[in-house]
Amino acid sequence: MSRRVTSVAVVGRDVSLWLTVVALQSALGRTGLRIHAVDLGSRLSRADVYVALPTLASLHRLLGVDERLVLDACRGVPMVGQRFSNWAKGAPPFMLAYDDEPPPGGRLPFLQYWAKAALEGLRVGLEEFSLGSGCARLNAVPLPVDENAVLSASYGYQLEAQAYAELLKQLALRRGIEIAASPLCGVGITGDTIEGVELADGTRIEADLYVDASGREARLIGGLASAHFESWSEWLPCDRLLAASAPRMPSLPAFSQVSAFHGGWVGLFPLQDRTAVVAAYSSTAAKDSEVADLAGVITRVRISGDAVVSDLGPGARQSPWLGNCVAIGEAAIAPDPIDGVEMQVTQAGISHLVSLFPATAGKSPEASAYNAAIRSFGSNLRDFQAAHYLFNRRYDEAMWDRVRDAAPPPGLARKAGMFRARAIIPMADEETFQEQGWAALLTGCGIVPQGYDPRVDVLPAEAHVEMVQQRLRAVAELARRMPAVDQFIAAEQQMPLQAGA
Amino acid sequence: MSLEPARDFVIVGGGTAGWMAAAALAKCAGTQQRRITLIESEAIGTVGVGESTIPPIQLFNRLLGIDEDEFVRETNATFKLGIEFVDWRRVGERYFHNFGLLGADLRTGVSFNHYWLRWAQSGGDPDQLRFSAEAEAARLGKFGRTPGAAGSGQPNINYAFQFDASTYAAYLRRYSEKRGVIRREGKVVDVRQDPETGFIDAVQMEDGSSIQGDFFIDCSGFRGLLIEQVFKAGFEDWSHWLPNDRAAAAPAERMPEPAPYTVARAREAGWQWRIPLQHRTGNGYVYCSSYISDDEASSRLVESLGGSALADPRVLRFQAGRRRASWVKNCLALGLSSGFLEPLESTSIHLVQAAISKFLDFFPARRPDPALIDRFNEEMRFQYESIRDFIIAHYKVTEREDTEFWRYCRHMSIPDTLAEKLEMFRARGEVKPRWSDIFSEVSWFAVLYGQGLTPEGYHPLADLMSEDDLELTLSRIRSAIRQKVDALPSHGDFIRGCCSSREMSAA
Repeated sequence: MSRRVTSVAVVGRDVSLWLTVVALQSALGRTGLRIHAVDLGSRLSRADVYVALPTLASLHRLLGVDERLVLDACRGVPMVGQRFSNWAKGAPPFMLAYDDEPPPGGRLPFLQYWAKAALEGLRVGLEEFSLGSGCARLNAVPLPVDENAVLSASYGYQLEAQAYAELLKQLALRRGIEIAASPLCGVGITGDTIEGVELADGTRIEADLYVDASGREARLIGGLASAHFESWSEWLPCDRLLAASAPRMPSLPAFSQVSAFHGGWVGLFPLQDRTAVVAAYSSTAAKDSEVADLAGVITRVRISGDAVVSDLGPGARQSPWLGNCVAIGEAAIAPDPIDGVEMQVTQAGISHLVSLFPATAGKSPEASAYNAAIRSFGSNLRDFQAAHYLFNRRYDEAMWDRVRDAAPPPGLARKAGMFRARAIIPMADEETFQEQGWAALLTGCGIVPQGYDPRVDVLPAEAHVEMVQQRLRAVAELARRMPAVDQFIAAEQQMPLQAGA
Repeated sequence: MSLEPARDFVIVGGGTAGWMAAAALAKCAGTQQRRITLIESEAIGTVGVGESTIPPIQLFNRLLGIDEDEFVRETNATFKLGIEFVDWRRVGERYFHNFGLLGADLRTGVSFNHYWLRWAQSGGDPDQLRFSAEAEAARLGKFGRTPGAAGSGQPNINYAFQFDASTYAAYLRRYSEKRGVIRREGKVVDVRQDPETGFIDAVQMEDGSSIQGDFFIDCSGFRGLLIEQVFKAGFEDWSHWLPNDRAAAAPAERMPEPAPYTVARAREAGWQWRIPLQHRTGNGYVYCSSYISDDEASSRLVESLGGSALADPRVLRFQAGRRRASWVKNCLALGLSSGFLEPLESTSIHLVQAAISKFLDFFPARRPDPALIDRFNEEMRFQYESIRDFIIAHYKVTEREDTEFWRYCRHMSIPDTLAEKLEMFRARGEVKPRWSDIFSEVSWFAVLYGQGLTPEGYHPLADLMSEDDLELTLSRIRSAIRQKVDALPSHGDFIRGCCSSREMSAA
């Protein structure tokens, strides 16, 4: 008779570690699974920020973590999207908001109607038809409307990184997860198999399954014989990261602000008591000291306190599940810090691991399904991030010229090509951003559809114009009913949606 | 590159694929601003024998906005709840590939199969089909339309149709002509291409006239008049995995009470279908010519029909495989011209339908963008390959070694994509299909389990339910299914009640 997996050792640090153990415990703890956490110690500084997509709120609900608690403990601010400035010389900023996909089975996507209108001379951008962007303009937080609403948007968060990691660690402790008392001092490896992990006090932990949540260091999986990490620096050229702080914004915006400069970009992520400033850049184009000075100038904020600089190396592991070791978070996929997807990577790993959790100890036919899913997830995410860089229009700046000249990854070339030709986004398996997100990004990058679905023509011209105008009115009306960020934070509990006018 | 949409469509070849394309184009793109011409010759026969389908055909009917009862009446159709496979695992064994769901969604994050496996592995009834309303109804010869659960988008009893392919084409022809599709009788003898771009400008007819168009749809059958003879798209041969290359087909008398399912009976060198229609029963022996002669296969077929055969068997030839590209420049291949997979899982109409709806999504400009064409071909390749793998599994996963044919199948090498699925299934009773896969986890379960591959484990989350809860939950689902099935009329009564054809009413 085959044996169940009864123990898992998770080696890692910060949010990857704590989120993984808490989620595994919550999903599988009741099956008798024993979870050992081995903490490698935090690498976070006081300046760090976590930017999270709306899916984090869903995970919190699943784990029974109260939203108010998170916002309070982490000085968190909800945000409905990100605004990108200076990615094209002379072009206005564009918003990438978290609009929800409409329920299936309706008419053609609104994008098709917009594409036709734009070809016929409509000057109103796609962004104006997004509820998320409408909320961002009013600094409002989109509350859920109802399940079948055609227009709806969600919000993510900006969170104090140290506080959030600590909150999850406390949660892990409260839920009785065993945390190793002594630091890691060695990993026993034979070929592609982990035999055990050694702690400094001489303890040895052996488990049926090992999870590597140690980030780019890849303390477990990196030592396996077939380990291979593929770099994405061709398309994601930033190799340095700077984190700093600026004073709180007097009135909190509902979006992050990401501005490109000659060596990379600088982002402003508002928190309740400060503004996190993050710059990602290429060391070939800008020096650390130069960026530290420039960051404040570009974003027009006063940088206070120390700036912390670290290395970046975007890329992915070819096989994030090897033998008895599963990589989660940056140990599997190291994204660029743009678009706030770092948490998403951890979440995707956890969700696939739970869904493919081995039926039997010692065997893992599930690995190939996990690897296929995570690889597909990773390349879609990379393509989304790469679009910002590859489709830049900052001419005559060495770093930007170089990345613009790089051949795009095939998936991105296809998406851009089909979007240009017919306003179609060919979706792949495991996409983080859905059609509307991609359309906002590609139009933001200056790609204008040259065709549309001919079924749009079934609608007579006047009805088409009326439909487009109606959508514009509906977005404005709905956005006005949403609470402002400050109001949302000050509220004691989840706010109700205001009645329509 | 001209961005103007294509306006002038020429479909070369009638038959099922041609008229499906004509009907869908007429409905979705219209004939006000576009011209749709279909060329067919009465002199060229169509390969129309009893045709069996899968549930997504309901979407195609809905797309056309046709009345289902009228469609059933006019094509002598019956309803289909799945396929019964006889003698596949070994002689004397049978199983049912049910449409619809297995059990119910327990909203715990893991699917019903895991709970059922836990139950079965600890001594429960090994017949999982007790948890399929479709299989239970099929067992009792019942059928009915039941309202779908709110928001599921699926009827409670899921179904497809079995119909007469030649009357289906005729039905769609009437539909299309009513909507302005122009039918041209005659044979295409030559093709005129733009010397610079290679795009097809016009086709030359036997009578000397020529028909111009922006876009050409090749429904000319196996030979691929445009896609292969003009564009040399190439053919990927899959006969290593799917060695059957002939079928002997013969109609037989109608079943007094037509069964609401298709039967696929494994035979010495292939398998035999039985497709009950309202007015007769379609039969055919699909075989591999290396293991049995045409004469022998035909006489085996006739023997099996007893005295009920209505005509002598007709032998059809084919080769399993796929056209390397189904869209080249301004030409799209549909149906047999784009590839062939044997009818074991009734997917041929589905492949036509899938290509048409994808084509409508990618509706081309006069000079189609290569990015669209590439993606189209890639998506179609995936469709063909995933169905191919599903069909191969029926031959590979077997205990039969009683004939040379079955010994070959059991020991042949299989594609890696399938090998991975089989390994996953053996470990935990699921294969994790991609979202674009036509066959769901339920279908894979029915077939792999039925073919004799028994999962060794299941998802550990299924252990969370207490034994009592599990028993209670399963028996609740069982009685809900029994109630639903008890309330259904017999299949024959249902048809007589709303959609019997003239021939059936007369019988």
